[in-house]
Amino acid sequence: MAAHDSEDIEASVHLSWMRRAMQMAEEALAAQEVPVGCVFVRGGRAIAEARNRTNELRNATRHAELEAIDYILSNKDLTPEVTEYPLSDTTLYVTVEPCIMCSSALRQMGIKEVFFGCENDRFGGCGSVLGVNESLPHPKHPAYKATSGYCREEAILILRRFYITENSNAPMPKSKTNRVLKTEIKPRKGSHLSS
Amino acid sequence: VDNQNQDSGPFSFPNGDPNDIIPDADLPFTRLKLIEDPEEETLESVHTIKAWVVDLPDPKQTIAMLKWLRTSGLDDPSLAHLKRVRKSPVTSTTSLLLSRVTSLSEPPVLPADVPLPAPYTLAVPKTAALTLSSCKVKSTLWPTMYAPRRKGELEEWERGRVRWACAAMNAVVATAREAALKGELPIAAHVPVPYASSKDQAAADHSLTREFTAHDTRTSLAHPLKHAVINVIRAVGDYRAASPSRASELTNQPPTTEIQTETDKTRNGTHYLLTSLTLFTTHEPCIMCSMALLHSRVKEVVYLYAMEKTGGCGGVACLPRLEGVNHRFGIARWRSGGGCEDLRVAEDVDA
Repeated sequence: MAAHDSEDIEASVHLSWMRRAMQMAEEALAAQEVPVGCVFVRGGRAIAEARNRTNELRNATRHAELEAIDYILSNKDLTPEVTEYPLSDTTLYVTVEPCIMCSSALRQMGIKEVFFGCENDRFGGCGSVLGVNESLPHPKHPAYKATSGYCREEAILILRRFYITENSNAPMPKSKTNRVLKTEIKPRKGSHLSS
Repeated sequence: VDNQNQDSGPFSFPNGDPNDIIPDADLPFTRLKLIEDPEEETLESVHTIKAWVVDLPDPKQTIAMLKWLRTSGLDDPSLAHLKRVRKSPVTSTTSLLLSRVTSLSEPPVLPADVPLPAPYTLAVPKTAALTLSSCKVKSTLWPTMYAPRRKGELEEWERGRVRWACAAMNAVVATAREAALKGELPIAAHVPVPYASSKDQAAADHSLTREFTAHDTRTSLAHPLKHAVINVIRAVGDYRAASPSRASELTNQPPTTEIQTETDKTRNGTHYLLTSLTLFTTHEPCIMCSMALLHSRVKEVVYLYAMEKTGGCGGVACLPRLEGVNHRFGIARWRSGGGCEDLRVAEDVDA
């Protein structure tokens, strides 16, 4: 098989997992949460999927990734024994770049690799605001690779669909009467994929 | 106000008039400066960013273009310190500030129905002017707002508040020692009822009515992320989630004239934030916990031990100093360990 064929197959595998993460983001949107969804994959199988629950749990830190991690660690089939890095054979697909908090959590958990849809210019911890995954040194935890660009447009559009409406759960709701839904998405310099 | 029990721990502060302002040098902690005040009194020293600008052939286009700009999505808080329109004193050309130049090098798309020249990029001041003379210098590049520093200025601490902080630090140390006895890492976090000085007694009535304390449980729960700070934030959230009537307890909101229903407050989300609250902890929080505190809008963080290699409050990074984050919190490091050497952890631990 030619090299580019196997790359294509790999890309389509990533894309199909990311579509599953997008379904979780849709679920978050339906529940009036910031629409971010994720799926954790181990051995070709989804072992956990989650979405943002910050409003429901009255806790600004309950992001999709942390929800899924708690589920994985509490499940004896998924985490049969205590190890230093419980996610060392697990890959994360998440619709938006993990924030600085989640990026640090993933490194502490020894995540194998991360794929995300769109960048997060406000909080992104995999390079956008701070490179917690790789460039920030840590005396112990190994770095992990984070790749952007899978379902990027869809991830941005669903965020826009959320923010175009008044976010009544935000600390200080702003009037959004002047906002219009923009559907044009500009490519990002340095992103790994165009689709 | 001055009835804090300080006898039960290593930290204390001399009694006296609780309203005495304590000079910085006498405080039992040092505060990290979050924003450097740059000297920008000369043109060469002004920090600039690149922005897209378009010249308006007819000054009458200004109002229509400002209206368009509002709906264009180009509005960017990083340009809020600049005026939108410039009328050049030399050429009397009217120009409009469009957007910041980002990693995308393309100019913003202008409305097709207005005849305009092509936008160009211009170096504009990065921040507002702190002094009038700096404002004059900066405005030669682009009209700049004059905003003498208020935010980022260090708050004054009264004696009563310092004694309150000592009591909180004693509580956090006691909890960390309990954790150690249970075989956990000796790391604890504590959110006390906010200090109420005589001058903000009214605000206190709207504040937290009980304190929260938690320690690290990563060992007993076999969960690497069960850090003290995460645990205490969770405790606060669970407390309010269990009872909607506690929704407003944690916020120091001034009384409003409007009558808000409980549902409105809950929908506003103010209840899950640590707004106006101080978090005390034995060890500088790791990157994860520091960001969790930023997400929770904590007012300030006070810690005993710096974690140079893993901490996110001045150690390996200082999150409230990062550009782009939507909240800043104060950071204070306790000056002396108070003989708590037993609480030290390895330098590679994420506290």
